[in-house]
Amino acid sequence: MDSTPNVIAGVGLADRPRKSRWPARMDLAQSATGLVLGLFMWGHMFFVSSILLGKDAMWSITKMFEGYFFFGKAYPGAVSVIVGAIFAILIVHAFLAMRKFPANYTQYRTFIGHRKLMAHEDTTLWWVQAITGFLLFFIAAVHLYQMLMHPGDIGPYESADRVWSGRWWPLYLVALFAVELHGGIGLYRLCVKWGWLEGKDANASRKRLKTLKWVLTVFFIALGLATLAAYMKIGYDHRDRVGERYTPSWVVPNPMEKAK
Amino acid sequence: MKIVYTDVLVIGGGLAGLRLAIGAKRRGHDALILSLVPAKRSHSKAAQGGMQASLGNVAKGQGDTEDVHFEDTVRGSDWGADQEVVRMFVNTAPKAVRELAAWGVPWSRVRKGDREVIINGQKVTITERDEAHGLIAQRDFGGTKKWRTCYAADGTGHAMINTVADQAIADSIPVHERKEALSLIHDGSRCYGAVVRDLITGEVSAYVATATAICTGGAGRVYRTTTNAVICEGIGHAIALETGVSALGNMEAVQFHPTGIFPAGILVTEGCRGDGGLLKDVDGHRFMPDYEPEKKELASRDVVSRRMEEHIKKGKGHKSRFGEHIWLDITLLGEKHIHTNLREVWDICHYFLGVDPVKEMIPVRPAQHYTMGGVRTDPSGQSPTLKGLFSAGEAACWDMHGFNRLGGNSVAETVVAGMIVGETIADYCDKLANTPTVPLGLVREFVEREQAKLAAFTKGGGREDASLIKGEMQDLMTAKVGIFRTGKDLEEAVDKLQKLLVRSRSIGLRSPSLGANPELVTAYRVQRMLKIALSIAYGAAVRTESRGAHFREDFPRRNDAEWLKRTLATWKSESDTLPTLAYEPLDVTRMELPPGWRGYGAKDYIDHPDTPERQKAVEAIRAQYASDRFAMQKALMPYEHLLPEVLRGKNERIDERF
Amino acid sequence: MAETSNSHRKLRIHALRYNPAKADDTPRIQTYELEEAPGMTLFIALSEIREKQDPSLQFDFVCRAGICGSCGMMINGLPGLACRTVTKDLPADISLAPLPFFELIGDLSVNTGKWMRGMSEKLETWVHSMGQSTDLKRIEEAMDPALAEEVYELDRCIECGCCVASCGTARMRKDFVGAVGLNKMARFRLDPRDKRTDADFYELVGDDNGVFGCMSLLACHDVCPKNLPLQTQIAFLRRKMVLQGTKG
Repeated sequence: MDSTPNVIAGVGLADRPRKSRWPARMDLAQSATGLVLGLFMWGHMFFVSSILLGKDAMWSITKMFEGYFFFGKAYPGAVSVIVGAIFAILIVHAFLAMRKFPANYTQYRTFIGHRKLMAHEDTTLWWVQAITGFLLFFIAAVHLYQMLMHPGDIGPYESADRVWSGRWWPLYLVALFAVELHGGIGLYRLCVKWGWLEGKDANASRKRLKTLKWVLTVFFIALGLATLAAYMKIGYDHRDRVGERYTPSWVVPNPMEKAK
Repeated sequence: MKIVYTDVLVIGGGLAGLRLAIGAKRRGHDALILSLVPAKRSHSKAAQGGMQASLGNVAKGQGDTEDVHFEDTVRGSDWGADQEVVRMFVNTAPKAVRELAAWGVPWSRVRKGDREVIINGQKVTITERDEAHGLIAQRDFGGTKKWRTCYAADGTGHAMINTVADQAIADSIPVHERKEALSLIHDGSRCYGAVVRDLITGEVSAYVATATAICTGGAGRVYRTTTNAVICEGIGHAIALETGVSALGNMEAVQFHPTGIFPAGILVTEGCRGDGGLLKDVDGHRFMPDYEPEKKELASRDVVSRRMEEHIKKGKGHKSRFGEHIWLDITLLGEKHIHTNLREVWDICHYFLGVDPVKEMIPVRPAQHYTMGGVRTDPSGQSPTLKGLFSAGEAACWDMHGFNRLGGNSVAETVVAGMIVGETIADYCDKLANTPTVPLGLVREFVEREQAKLAAFTKGGGREDASLIKGEMQDLMTAKVGIFRTGKDLEEAVDKLQKLLVRSRSIGLRSPSLGANPELVTAYRVQRMLKIALSIAYGAAVRTESRGAHFREDFPRRNDAEWLKRTLATWKSESDTLPTLAYEPLDVTRMELPPGWRGYGAKDYIDHPDTPERQKAVEAIRAQYASDRFAMQKALMPYEHLLPEVLRGKNERIDERF
Repeated sequence: MAETSNSHRKLRIHALRYNPAKADDTPRIQTYELEEAPGMTLFIALSEIREKQDPSLQFDFVCRAGICGSCGMMINGLPGLACRTVTKDLPADISLAPLPFFELIGDLSVNTGKWMRGMSEKLETWVHSMGQSTDLKRIEEAMDPALAEEVYELDRCIECGCCVASCGTARMRKDFVGAVGLNKMARFRLDPRDKRTDADFYELVGDDNGVFGCMSLLACHDVCPKNLPLQTQIAFLRRKMVLQGTKG
């Protein structure tokens, strides 16, 4: 086996004479994964909040993702595929974003001091992003693992039971704030980082983007709290019948399933 | 004892020093720059309006040549300049601008077609030629017949020093920042380098070199009200003076810029007036045409400053809580022009005055601006009396400005002198005979002498306060050695400055540390600054005539018969309290442009006895060579032999191709 | 001229004092009281303190006109040019500290020059003519007037260090070139006289010490005393460098 590349890279000369292209790829990948996750998060919030429109609405959305309306039969495995993809993107994103975190105590201490002295909004927001990102390593991982392994447990009762009787609500409460802050700030930062929506007057558009970002964050957190409350209420009312699945009254039970 | 060796030691990291070092380095000699501050922070950076070079690209510059630039400069100098040097300068200036263009200076460029400008308070449409499109633009400046001042908005010096300092970095020229030369090491006939103090650690060491160049800029801070940066304290001048051998020329020639913002004294560029701005009095009346019908606001700086002060004396100044001032009105130039071509001016007005110059007038009053005098050199930039010592830029008396410098000629001088002296200093270093045998004992003696002087401040038991003395000196200079001078005031100033000098010899420190210590710096500098102040005041007291910026109310006429000569000040002994003055006559019989009326300012002057005859001779030559300006010039006053070979040759223009 | 309404306030300047050359020195805040004067800038105030109260206080001023970039310091927590900061725009209690990140010389004085030189050497911040020589006797090469103005706009940087001191990335990672360096790359990239290509610029800033290190906190943009369009320029450079780094 030719060990030449290993020797050259091993002593730190991989960048000669030309610089590696990986930093560019990683920078792009971090933003791209962030963009996907950020947009997914907003969509996700709309889907789960369908519970506010009623159990039937939420059921319909769930079944739609499971392919029920296309195939006439639910395939919860479809959810697993989406969850798996998001999980993979999340891992890539987290891995890339980690590069930006304070790497040791000195850096940590320096940044904290810097943030406090400067009291500069976008700097503080980055810190919020870093902390929420760190939290999401765990929260999102737990949530996604659950969804990956039990894709069928999504539904008005199924989810509500998990939230209440399964005692997931504290996790979701923290997750709500972490995700909305992290994603909102992240999407705003993507715009200023790449110069999107800059227009003629970059300062004015940045101000507008910032306002928009806050409006959306507040909106989604409010929506999330209402949604979580709705599931908790349903879960509480349903606490004696945990495990019962929800079926809208208007759905004709599948004879095949009934036969089982 | 720590010694650093190099070929060329450049003291001062402004435009002149940087360009000189680049020249020497490119010729294969090691160059090292000492600078009080990072090079890009030098005062060259503050030059706003532009750099004169007769490119003649703009419509209003058409017909401009070295000849016109030469005449403007000599007239501006009130015939105090060395005309050969002026010739060297005007011929190199276009090359300098073009070199800087190639190096990356973002010169403002000509746009073809019609554009509206303000001339003499009126809107005028000018049509720029198609063939000039994209070439370097020129604006109008005081004392010039043609629009000649090349500019990068109003951050010309800034753009220039960014570029030149970066070239020095590209050429790996070390700049030893925060280092101050305390004295020149010499044996009375030859200079070996300098004793240098590190401003961070306080360490004193020796820098030994084949050639040493003083490029330290001006000495404006001997005055209270000045546009100069706080580092422009004339220390380069002083260490040359303190050798007792090299002389300072024409120190009494001090320029006051008409438009320092009032009261802070921060400069707003001559470009304000060049681009059409007007000076107005308390009644909103534009008064300059009353005094100077020909050039109005754009007479030379000495004349405009004097007229402003004269007008204030008549009670026409605007009275504010800080005193009286004149108004500079650029509102007529319009918002777009101010925001593109005068943006530093806008910044300065906004931050320091809370004034929006688009809508409001700017309070201004003349402030000390430029030191025409300096280390006397020959046309090659070398001291005629101390071998191995060179000087370039504002620190030098080369002498292309005489008794008044034209706006735009100083940044031009920095790079032009840097180019020329960079070559001549390389020529000097090329010669084996000039490589010194360094007397290390002498080096050590100089280092120890400076260390002892520093120690005396901390242990000498003196009680005088350095910053108090400095303040008294500055007040005295502004009050008594300003724009209008009289024998009585000047004698009083000389007398008081001498007393201050004596007092400065027993300065004591409140914070007696030899390391980084601002008080110690003030202490040793004020002793040197007083010698510069005395050279100015004493030179002014003795010169009983008015010439250029030196105006004596008791001797209001220019007197070529007695005073067509350069003042040379030397400081013979450490115990002296006055410089020794000598005079170097200017030879009328060799002048290309014999003395006459400047075209603005006072019309009466006393002729030199040689002038009429020379005038006749000049006219004859002009008639003989009327068809060939180059042959005519050569016949009038050959100078090209003085220029380094690489810098010789005609300059191409749109209207003059070769 | 704007009149001051509170021209005789008693100002309390709380300056950070520390001499790193002294082995036993500890950083501390020293308070100086002085009477505010009309039109007073921090340059005037600090000079007065040094002249009348404490000759040992270290700080840097050169042009005192906001054009040389010497006097960057933390003014009430934010980097700015002290010389053009007018005291009437500040509360009576003014906190002054040296710019972080740069080597501290003492008190309010930091060695920005040394860092800037290193940055310039690393990024080769000069026009690379790639061997093209210029005949100085000939008419200069024409340049589009609008382009010249754009280059000048980016050339207005005064290397005061405020952007670097305000940069969260630079504070954590010492090798980051900062907005000053990235802006310079954008300036030379724009300049047609510089013959370098994006491949060359990628070699200089195509890594996490360069443009990919930037986390877009934009404090640089917000504190820049010259209002340089740093946000736009860094975003532009990022796009170009990503394009360069991902093609082929």
